[in-house]
Amino acid sequence: MLQTPESRGLPVPQAEGEKDGGHDGETRAPTASQERPKEELGAGREEGAAEPALTRKGARALAVKALARRRAYRRLNRTVAELVQFLLVKDKKKSPITRSEMVKYVIGDLKALFPDIIARAAEHLRYVFGFELKQFDRKHHTYILINKLKPLEEEEEEDLGGDGPRLGLLMMILGLIYMRGNSAREAQVWEMLRRLGMQPSKYHFLFGYPKRLIMEDFVQQRYLSYRRVPHTSPPEYEFSWGPRSNLEISKMKVLGFVAKLHKKEPQHWPVQYREALADEADRARAKARAEASMRARASARAGIHLW
Amino acid sequence: MQSSTKRMGVMTDVHRRFLQLLMTHGVLEEWDVKRLQRHCYKVHDRNATVDKLEDFINNINSVLESLYIEIKRGVTEDDGRPIYALVNLATTSVSKMATDFAENELDLFRKALELIIDSETGFASSTNILNLVDQLKGKKMKKKEAEQVLQKFVQNKWLIEKEGEFTLHGRAILEMEQYIRETYPDAVKTCNICHSLLIQGQSCETCGIRMHLPCVAKYFQSNAEPRCPHCNDYWPHEIPEVFDPEKERESGISKPNKKPLRSRQR
Repeated sequence: MLQTPESRGLPVPQAEGEKDGGHDGETRAPTASQERPKEELGAGREEGAAEPALTRKGARALAVKALARRRAYRRLNRTVAELVQFLLVKDKKKSPITRSEMVKYVIGDLKALFPDIIARAAEHLRYVFGFELKQFDRKHHTYILINKLKPLEEEEEEDLGGDGPRLGLLMMILGLIYMRGNSAREAQVWEMLRRLGMQPSKYHFLFGYPKRLIMEDFVQQRYLSYRRVPHTSPPEYEFSWGPRSNLEISKMKVLGFVAKLHKKEPQHWPVQYREALADEADRARAKARAEASMRARASARAGIHLW
Repeated sequence: MQSSTKRMGVMTDVHRRFLQLLMTHGVLEEWDVKRLQRHCYKVHDRNATVDKLEDFINNINSVLESLYIEIKRGVTEDDGRPIYALVNLATTSVSKMATDFAENELDLFRKALELIIDSETGFASSTNILNLVDQLKGKKMKKKEAEQVLQKFVQNKWLIEKEGEFTLHGRAILEMEQYIRETYPDAVKTCNICHSLLIQGQSCETCGIRMHLPCVAKYFQSNAEPRCPHCNDYWPHEIPEVFDPEKERESGISKPNKKPLRSRQR
């Protein structure tokens, strides 16, 4: 099952890059007999052993114990590794992870060793991936991962991709929708894609299947809304900004993006510019209101610390 | 035995950022991986010389070993593009998916996987998969819902869809090859050339051996009379072109095809 050489074992916390020299990752060899690779039962007398039981039976018992200890250690290592993977996958979904989930899915009956396991997992997460495992809520034992790598500049972020290309495509679509008066027919969106060199249903190495990305991902994530245009037959559909786009980006920003694309100023489109200005004013007002009410609530609350 | 001569690598923020981003994507093509590597250096260690990709990845893998994961390199079955993914070394079934999907969804994947492995072409039709919806473990799933779940698999790069049929994404093959070979030892097909798991490929009509399309391309490259390596009979299929990264980028869009690409010049 496991193909990896297990002699490496876990790096000891605080000693990054250091390797244990022990067989199967054991850092300590309690008896001389265990430093030999001979595990066969009935190994007989061990030279130089300080152990009292030098009979065949005694040596066999020691060997069995040693094997069991090694197995337990391997199992512990594996559990730590599984917990690390579990935490990484869970964190991707951006939901805090509870201790009971960890016990249920990964730790199982090693529950008593939870503090040790989670400490090792945390060290791996820190050293290998640059994440800090933080206890988010002491009462409910929930954890999150915080990225300890330095935050990226905006242009660095774009370069490094991730969601970059997809969000770039989304921006193009939001721009198209905005410039066409806040809604764009489905056909117009596919037309724009074709001009960008993409076929809606053909696999693209950056976007996968663009049509799927747009119709499913973006719509499901509420970046776009997809509606039937009334009184059209055969039925036609249109896209407009979804509620999440309204939250995460502003008309002014999108207009700025479109303007840059065309190497012009936002004011070049007076209608859209006026609309964007009005939108900015609305947002400023909403923000001021929200801040005021938050301050009021904070002073009334009995200091609950989240982090 | 005791100490191994290979030293465990050292992680810096360059490597950590690289790992984080590779994990975000799930799977990446080689040109994208190189680009990513360069940018990680640019962000975290501007003046350092960029390691050769192979060394860079080997360094990281030596650190990942104790976590039973590694960055694995593979090749897409349809046109031989090199891809990289972070995979589990311990075969615990569909482990990476297990935390992302519900029990019935995982079972749907398993059913699709079985159909794909059993099929002659490496593709399972949407209809055939959906017909198994009643047999799923866990919460009852309607066909409409199952269609969405299949799309989720496509989005997360576990399956590829072409014209209503599904096959395994390169990522799934990278991640699950060992699990598949252990779970379906009789049904599994392997490539006569590289001996890896084969889902899509060409087969000899006489003796039945199979080869991956990129393996066919390499093996028969500039061979005027391609013959089966096993039974020496004439190889009846179109020989695809060997993947050339320079050419790929110019055209801009990948062209995945069930059949091999262009016919050879004679």
